[in-house]
Amino acid sequence: MKVFKDLDPILHSQLRLAVMSLLISVKEAEFTFLREKTNSTAGNLSVQIQKLRDAGYIDVIKQFKDNYPQTICKITKKGIEAFELYVKALQEYINR
Amino acid sequence: MIMEEKNITEKEGLFLISQMIQTARQEQNDDGKGWIIWGWVLFLASISSVLLVWFKWDLQLFFFWNIFGGIALAYFVYELFANEFFRKRRKVRTYAGDLFARLNAGFFISLIFIIVFINVGARALYHRYNEFNLMPITMGFALLINLYAFWILIYGAALNFKPSIIAAYATWGIGFVALFSKTFEHTMLLHALAALVGYIIPGHIANKEFKKIRGKDKVVESV
Repeated sequence: MKVFKDLDPILHSQLRLAVMSLLISVKEAEFTFLREKTNSTAGNLSVQIQKLRDAGYIDVIKQFKDNYPQTICKITKKGIEAFELYVKALQEYINR
Repeated sequence: MIMEEKNITEKEGLFLISQMIQTARQEQNDDGKGWIIWGWVLFLASISSVLLVWFKWDLQLFFFWNIFGGIALAYFVYELFANEFFRKRRKVRTYAGDLFARLNAGFFISLIFIIVFINVGARALYHRYNEFNLMPITMGFALLINLYAFWILIYGAALNFKPSIIAAYATWGIGFVALFSKTFEHTMLLHALAALVGYIIPGHIANKEFKKIRGKDKVVESV
């Protein structure tokens, strides 16, 4: 397998890229939505979301709604820029 | 397939991105049921009003429109309660969803505005000339058709749904013709035609496509 060191290491991972691809298409999404659509485990998804948050690519809002805890994720401006650069880089690699 | 933290090839990356974007887009699909119900209610109210005049039923001219108003109001109250108490919380918020919520609010405010215009205008002219004048009704219903066309165009454009975009222009054409309507029955027939062209036909096409997409998803999920 070819490894791309130039590609953003935060995005160049299956689960994190899936989360970013979902979040770029919507305004905001609940943690449970991301878990359903990526078919991932809650523990793993939490870790990857934390990494994306630490990189400043997403905002995570934790709140209570109807007495239930709710975690909402939203892509940031920095995240959109990083995602766009990543897609551009991927296309360049493929077109090589 | 369970997703985890692992590196991927460039092709896998692009495939994953398009797959996830497609998955998220499905949240914005409309099953068309709302358009179909709304369209049929408008259609039936219009056609019933035509029959009322043709067969000289002993009812008020706006009898069926009053029933329509009652149904619309009951549905509005049901929606309020359903959203608050019964319906499952939405797990995702889309830009299109937010746009539709505001578009619908604007649509209903404009709808009420025109209905009030029809009533106030008809009463004012009646009191002034002491005879029934059709003008506010003709103009009001032409404006209503114009409003439907505007809503259908924005909705269709946001969903990138071509049948609705075509239907919007056709509805505007009907609305324009309705401006020159000479009789109440003629206005009602044009209004029924607008409901058919603008809501019912695109609604059924949307519903068919929605079922096709959902069918494909089930096949993919089961593989």
